[in-house]
Amino acid sequence: MFQHTALRYTALILLAAGAFAQAVTAGYFGLEVLTEILLLAMLVLALDMVAGFGGMVSLCHGALMGLGAYAYAILTTKAGIAPPVAMAGAIAITGVAAWVIGAIGARSHGIYFIMATLAFGQMAYSYVFEAPLFGGDDGMGGIPRLDLTLIGLDLNDSRSFALFCLLLLAASYGAAVLILRSGLGRSLIGVMHNEQRMRALGLTVWRIKADVFGLSGMIAGLAGALAAQHVMYISPGPLAWTVSGEALVVVILGGLGTLVGPMIGAAAFVVLKHEVSNVTSYWHLVVGVLLIAVVMSRANGLFGWIEARWGARLERRLSDLTRKSDAEEVPTDA
Amino acid sequence: MLETRNLDKSFGAVHVTRDVSLKLERGERRVILGPNGAGKTTLFNLLVGELTPDSGAVLLAGEDVTALPVAKRARRGLSRSYQKNTLFDGLTVEENLGLAAAVHTGSATRLWGDSLATPEVREIVEEVAEQVRLMPYLHAKVSEVSYGVRRQLEVGVALATRPLVLLMDEPTSGVGPEMAKGFHELLNDLPRDLTLLIIEHDMDLAFDVADTITVLNYGEVVFDGLPDAARGSKLLKEIYLGSWEDA
Repeated sequence: MFQHTALRYTALILLAAGAFAQAVTAGYFGLEVLTEILLLAMLVLALDMVAGFGGMVSLCHGALMGLGAYAYAILTTKAGIAPPVAMAGAIAITGVAAWVIGAIGARSHGIYFIMATLAFGQMAYSYVFEAPLFGGDDGMGGIPRLDLTLIGLDLNDSRSFALFCLLLLAASYGAAVLILRSGLGRSLIGVMHNEQRMRALGLTVWRIKADVFGLSGMIAGLAGALAAQHVMYISPGPLAWTVSGEALVVVILGGLGTLVGPMIGAAAFVVLKHEVSNVTSYWHLVVGVLLIAVVMSRANGLFGWIEARWGARLERRLSDLTRKSDAEEVPTDA
Repeated sequence: MLETRNLDKSFGAVHVTRDVSLKLERGERRVILGPNGAGKTTLFNLLVGELTPDSGAVLLAGEDVTALPVAKRARRGLSRSYQKNTLFDGLTVEENLGLAAAVHTGSATRLWGDSLATPEVREIVEEVAEQVRLMPYLHAKVSEVSYGVRRQLEVGVALATRPLVLLMDEPTSGVGPEMAKGFHELLNDLPRDLTLLIIEHDMDLAFDVADTITVLNYGEVVFDGLPDAARGSKLLKEIYLGSWEDA
């Protein structure tokens, strides 16, 4: 069951504080990097929901994010729909598409599920790449950002946009936690532990998987709609399976099934990409070596390693502190 | 309450269930005996829908459920425990019972709110934990409790769906004599209106708990009657009970 430990709270606070400080103080390039991190964090959060808590390792989440971006682009630039409505529409469209993929893929497991999602993702990529409606390989430009000037927020300003993305990432994280702690989320975790038993208890397993996959798709769709607004342009590139593969690498590097870990992984991945690519264009090699090291160490990613090493110690220290303060309070009360 | 009509199942050339017809009344406690390979677990798999029969029918509370999948049969009141523990190892005993109870109450698919925190689920969890003597272990993880406790939980999870008919596949499998004795009491304390169908190798338990006994051999019903008649049956002694009689 998903639980917030002291270490997870600490990591969340540090992440939020770090992102906020960066959003307030960074220059243009720093803000671009921060927004890239926040959007990737949203995507890997969506992926961790299904892979880490449902055993559904998806290779189509990049395509779902791309679908959200294209849906927003078409609704705003071709259908002339107002950006806020288009954003809601993009999230809904991606959610429905993800639900269908989840429902179809729910009967397969392991490598077969991965292949099924890969096929869906590549189908979407190929179609978008060829279809004139989506601008083919030229993509689509002129995508507007949301207009929040009514509440004093100009999203055409990079700083405001980064803060807006941070706010929506926090909301997405809250939604993911609520879902995983709900009856639906608990059932999903039960299915991951023992699908046969959950079915024998009377649960319609495919429906649980499809529902959570759909909800995860909605978060990926939100990330896509924001990504389209970020660069005001969308091309078929984000739908390629390599984007989904990269997201999976980030989830594994960060810590599968922890929600917090993949977000740390997203920050580490983007920073590493920018820093190492300053030195060499073979930055993927460095990520590859790091991934091999994490997998070989048998730790559950970077955050899993930290949890295993310091999690219990921090919990003990906190409970000691609580006991001490309780003991100090007793004489005063008496 | 539960009925089979001429159930037949083959795997290739191996005929594992032959023309099995059973009828269990409400509240009846029937024990199925038979040597290894007699087709007892296959019969359970046919009853709950994990296997599809080649021919024949399964009726639950008078309704034909042969075409229904596992989950739908379970929701109609057919629950089972397994010979090998089939639990949620990473979760606590309470969460294991809660997951089953949540499926029964319908809160397992709710998007808002913790399904295990609802009064209905908590009530079932407490009641079942009392029934299967699990109160002291509620907050322990399954991986941290003894094998015997896991066997109790195996039955508890099946009970938490509030079934009409409970199928138990060797509930005392692998537990010591003392623990097995506790299991006898546990089964005898279950509500009398609950229909039980139990596969068992422990003869003491079989004769202690059973209202009726069915013996399978090579997938066929070779005896169906009262425990006293089973004790006196020559055929049974030949195919299965020799070692028990000698002991």
